Amino acid sequence: MDDVVISHLTKNFGELIAVNDMVLDVPAGSIFGLLGPNGAGKSTTTRILSTLLRPTSGTAVVAGFDIHEDPVKIREITGVLPEEANHTVYEGMTAYENLEYFAKLYGVVEEAIEPAIQELLEFMELWDRKDDLAGELSTGNRQRLALCRALLHKPTVLLLDEPTAALDPVAAKRVRELILSLSEKYNQTFFINSHNLAEVQRMCNKIAIIDEGRILLAGNTEELRSQLRGKQKYRLLIRGNISSAESVVVNLDFVKSHESEVDTIILEIENPMDNNVKLLRTLLDAGVNVVELSEDEATLEDLYLEVVKGGSQQ
Amino acid sequence: MSKSMIVAKTDFKNALKLKMVKYGLVMATIFGPIMSFIIFLGVLPIVPPSEAQLLVGLMGPIITAMLGMFAIIPTTMIAANALVGEREMNTLEPLLCTPLTDRELLWGKTMAGAFPSLIILASSTAITTVGIAIGSVALGYPIIIFPDLAGFFLLATATPLMIFAVVAVMIIISGRVTRVYEAYQATTGIIMVFMIPMILPMIGLETGGMSELVWFSNFITLTIAALIFVIGWAIAFRLFNRDKLVSMV
Repeated sequence: MDDVVISHLTKNFGELIAVNDMVLDVPAGSIFGLLGPNGAGKSTTTRILSTLLRPTSGTAVVAGFDIHEDPVKIREITGVLPEEANHTVYEGMTAYENLEYFAKLYGVVEEAIEPAIQELLEFMELWDRKDDLAGELSTGNRQRLALCRALLHKPTVLLLDEPTAALDPVAAKRVRELILSLSEKYNQTFFINSHNLAEVQRMCNKIAIIDEGRILLAGNTEELRSQLRGKQKYRLLIRGNISSAESVVVNLDFVKSHESEVDTIILEIENPMDNNVKLLRTLLDAGVNVVELSEDEATLEDLYLEVVKGGSQQ
Repeated sequence: MSKSMIVAKTDFKNALKLKMVKYGLVMATIFGPIMSFIIFLGVLPIVPPSEAQLLVGLMGPIITAMLGMFAIIPTTMIAANALVGEREMNTLEPLLCTPLTDRELLWGKTMAGAFPSLIILASSTAITTVGIAIGSVALGYPIIIFPDLAGFFLLATATPLMIFAVVAVMIIISGRVTRVYEAYQATTGIIMVFMIPMILPMIGLETGGMSELVWFSNFITLTIAALIFVIGWAIAFRLFNRDKLVSMV
């Protein structure tokens, strides 16, 4: 069963088409990452799913509820972390008061409010700061507080817009662990907007790449990465002058592309099983000091750059 | 507790955290009665007991309008924080993501702004009534009951209407200003309507018929308050919806 079903969703802001005929399914219990550059339509999509914005046309069903017919019901069963969430806490209220206020608005029963707040604040290592004004917390702690707010009522679907933005690496890792453990423990569905490719690669089991409001590619993360293996690249580590190696590489007809990074050349090689040996031999004959030739692991970044670049060119 | 009440209580508590609002509320509650005692009881000793009731007719409109004006001020401050403050602090978006309906949110914001003012209106009027009654007896005069019927009419009709009208105007303004103080400044002008029942009856001092002028000015004030209330809320209801609010985020 799918927790988020988007059907031909379009949102226009005047002449600007922010979301363009989007069709997308997110299975229940999955961690879904919506990737795209700034202004691609990620936040607009999240805002439509959280019923903040009405689409120009099309619809979406969140946990079985239609955004047009049951907006209040959707808000009850979704937890939302807005963009730049660290700025969206009540700075004049304590961390505890912030959460207590939203727990009441989300209809959490009175007796369950305190344990729920304590559990989340302890997990986020904020319990000892519960009586501090939110305005006195660091940016990262405010972000964590906003994330607690989104999780308070144990929502079925979580809509997170750049959840680890503004967090230090340790806090970001903790948030990722939290998302993974919540997904495992409660089978919650996560819909995450991000342009942090490494983060999405670590967390998400399904992704879609969006640009100019259009879904350019969607699928299972591992499947998409495996597609890239057909376009395997190689890293050539050079000691000494890299330009001499470049001048050799550029003249080899089986080298489809190359890119230099300080002491490394990243190569795309046609028929590598045969040509890698030729490459090494040619380089060694030319007096290039080769340290290593290794496979370059296919990353989501490669996929993303290829898809977004291709999409922009269309 | 209803969700509207949760919003109202939180907005009120948040507003109280600002010194300007906290002291503003204290001032609004005590300043009216204090000014009334100074004006009324200060003049009373030079008036013969037989003409004490005349003093009520003369000073009454000023004191009544003053009590009304002071009661409205807290609404402008709290509503500005509750409506424009959410926008200024970027807290509107998470609030709109909760299961609150537009109506619950509107009613919560309205209660936050209006109820404290209504309480201040009732309490400052009660303090003034009791203070003037005790003061007049203490000064050896027959007990003076204030406000008189015309004053009570103004405080019971035009003032509550104006308190709710201010919230409506604040809703309209909140879409156009980005800072709390701008909203606060923009609505304080409305309070000036209460200069009408304060000043207009004075014309009758020379021409006579002051009592009729008091009622006339009260009706004018009530009519203006009712107009602002009706027009203000007609526009506010149209503007206060999720789409408009989201556009402010």
